[in-house]
Amino acid sequence: MDQLLQALVSGILLGGFYAVMVLGFSVIWGVMGVINLAHGEFLMIGAYMAWGLFRLFGMDPFASLVLILPLMFLVGYLLQIVLINRIVERPHLMTLLVTFGVSIALANLFKIQFTSDPRNVAVAYNGSVQLAGVTFPIVKTIIFGAAMLIMVCLHLFLQRTRLGKSIRAAAQNKTAARIVGVDINRVYAITAGICIALTAAAGAMLSPTQAIFPFMGPPFTLKAVTITALGGLGRIPGALMGGMVLGVTEIFVSTYVPGIGTNLGVATSFVLLVLILVVRPQGLMGGLRPIDAEAE
Amino acid sequence: MRHILKFVSLLLVASLVLTACALAPPAPVDEPAAAAPSADGEKIIYLGAAVSETGRFSREGKDTRQGYGLWLDWVNNEYGGIKVGDDRYKVELIMYDDEGDPDTAARLVEKLINEDRVDFLLGPYSSFLTQSASAIAEKYGKIMIEGNGAAQPLFERGFQNLFAVLTPALNYTRSALQLLSERGAKTVVIAYEDTAFPTSVADGAQQWAAEFGLEVLGVETYPVNVADVSGIMSKFKELEPDIFVGGGHFNDAVLFIRAAKELDFNPKAMVITVGPSNPKLIEEVGADTEYVIGPTQWEASMSYADGYFGTAAEYAARYEDFWGEPPTYQAAESTATALALHIAIEEAASLDTDAVRTALRNLDVVTFYGPINFDEKGRNAAKPMGAIQIQNGEILVVAPTNAAVAELNYPAPPWKDR
Repeated sequence: MDQLLQALVSGILLGGFYAVMVLGFSVIWGVMGVINLAHGEFLMIGAYMAWGLFRLFGMDPFASLVLILPLMFLVGYLLQIVLINRIVERPHLMTLLVTFGVSIALANLFKIQFTSDPRNVAVAYNGSVQLAGVTFPIVKTIIFGAAMLIMVCLHLFLQRTRLGKSIRAAAQNKTAARIVGVDINRVYAITAGICIALTAAAGAMLSPTQAIFPFMGPPFTLKAVTITALGGLGRIPGALMGGMVLGVTEIFVSTYVPGIGTNLGVATSFVLLVLILVVRPQGLMGGLRPIDAEAE
Repeated sequence: MRHILKFVSLLLVASLVLTACALAPPAPVDEPAAAAPSADGEKIIYLGAAVSETGRFSREGKDTRQGYGLWLDWVNNEYGGIKVGDDRYKVELIMYDDEGDPDTAARLVEKLINEDRVDFLLGPYSSFLTQSASAIAEKYGKIMIEGNGAAQPLFERGFQNLFAVLTPALNYTRSALQLLSERGAKTVVIAYEDTAFPTSVADGAQQWAAEFGLEVLGVETYPVNVADVSGIMSKFKELEPDIFVGGGHFNDAVLFIRAAKELDFNPKAMVITVGPSNPKLIEEVGADTEYVIGPTQWEASMSYADGYFGTAAEYAARYEDFWGEPPTYQAAESTATALALHIAIEEAASLDTDAVRTALRNLDVVTFYGPINFDEKGRNAAKPMGAIQIQNGEILVVAPTNAAVAELNYPAPPWKDR
């Protein structure tokens, strides 16, 4: 029973992180139809920023979000204007090539700048607390809380604000959005800014739990594809559900299958991906299909 | 249906793009390829190696490159070139980046043999890459001498041209487990990455556990590039073992230590391969590395010496002077690899592959890195493995007893009492 509860808690905590990790990927895909293969690299950049701020100023990785979010928003905004806007309504192959190129360039730039030495942010509070017989890792619990907070904020932003509504409008029907006077390029740039900032924030939060190195990105990009398939494009509840399903499944498999559990846990995400594509190609929650068929 | 097809074809395109990029010819790094003897009639021996500069082994690959590089600088500029009979040969080393990918490593070794026409090959970093690289060397009958592939299966293929200066992986945990059993440990759990080297370490750990009377409570594997080991650690927590053995590479050591602390998993000793003997682990992970034990191929405090680099400590000083950081054992074994080839060529007094192979077979020397004496399978059976423990932020040798500079701290206190 204890082990079951522990596995459930660990899975949910992991799922919360997955959910916030995937947001940037799934919103960019949903709104612009761009599959960002450099997703994991932006996560890596966030992790390095948190590490740098920690090393230089002793800044806590969660406190450093205050700096990382606006800075990476700017990076995303500029990246969109300079690069991605040129490929947005082009064939998918173009977006894949460009973002794949960006990912290689970023990973290797970071290698040149920081070497490939693995880094880690050693926060003092990385222990655990016992609650009702279940161990809560402190850092992962904080990550979970921050992830939930970020998702609620983004949800409110998209649902309640004028800008959020124009982002959703652009996602649903570009032509109609243009007709009613939405400045699509500006909306895209803001969306990219938000998404890159969120992805970097996820990386910064991850920094105390993992080794940070220039080539850490690609596995996250792959997981993001799976979760997006599970949860659908650009939907926050979908990302949350997809993240939870993946997190809980991974932990359960790795806890209850003896010997090779962790191996299977990692394979799980890809088995899930194939299953979803076969059984419910539209994704579990309405999925991979853009709402407007024309938008593809 | 249309959408499935579209999505699947997108994925296909993505994977094609990835493969295409992986297949693109990589640019040579460090030394330019040169096949002809130099213009001023200087005699040159060409060596080639594919070593990770990028990818998952980029850290350890860097140590390997620097280890080779130190020998190269020394042999050309200080020693005056390898003596072959009455001639002195300068050495040119052609290195490429294998990107941590076994297929790339194999392709680059083929290129080194066929296009760059190297005389001898040095190994890549990791058993994983040595596996494929050495198969190509064997196919062309080229000698590959390596210091960074210790897994057992490498030496079970009947290869005639593969020589390894490092202690085989089966023996990695031997001295640590022996010492821990003497100090009263009774039970052990083992987690390892399911690739060649960690698997051999874990197989060895089970053998030595049986030999030293330790009960193995659980064995778990995990895949390469694992991002989370908390599933394994929470399982092990229930088993309450005395010793945790983790077989993997540098990043895994970070994950194991983090997960153990987060889940309040308190083995009395943690033995982890590769990471702990590297000072970078203490630098990045901090005080949580305290009490962690690691096998080590070599430490600067060991009492070996030779007529080339002097003592182990002198080698370390030279290395730090040249590269600006202290040597890891991966760097030292890479230097020793090149040195072993160097000695064998001088003994053979020839560049002929058969003569050098015979000289390698008969080699029996002590170097700054330890004794080198290859058995019939090409392994260096002569060298014992050491064990270090991190104490007060320092890497100190605790086993074997004749090389130890500190007493083992056992048992490690639970996380909450630290």
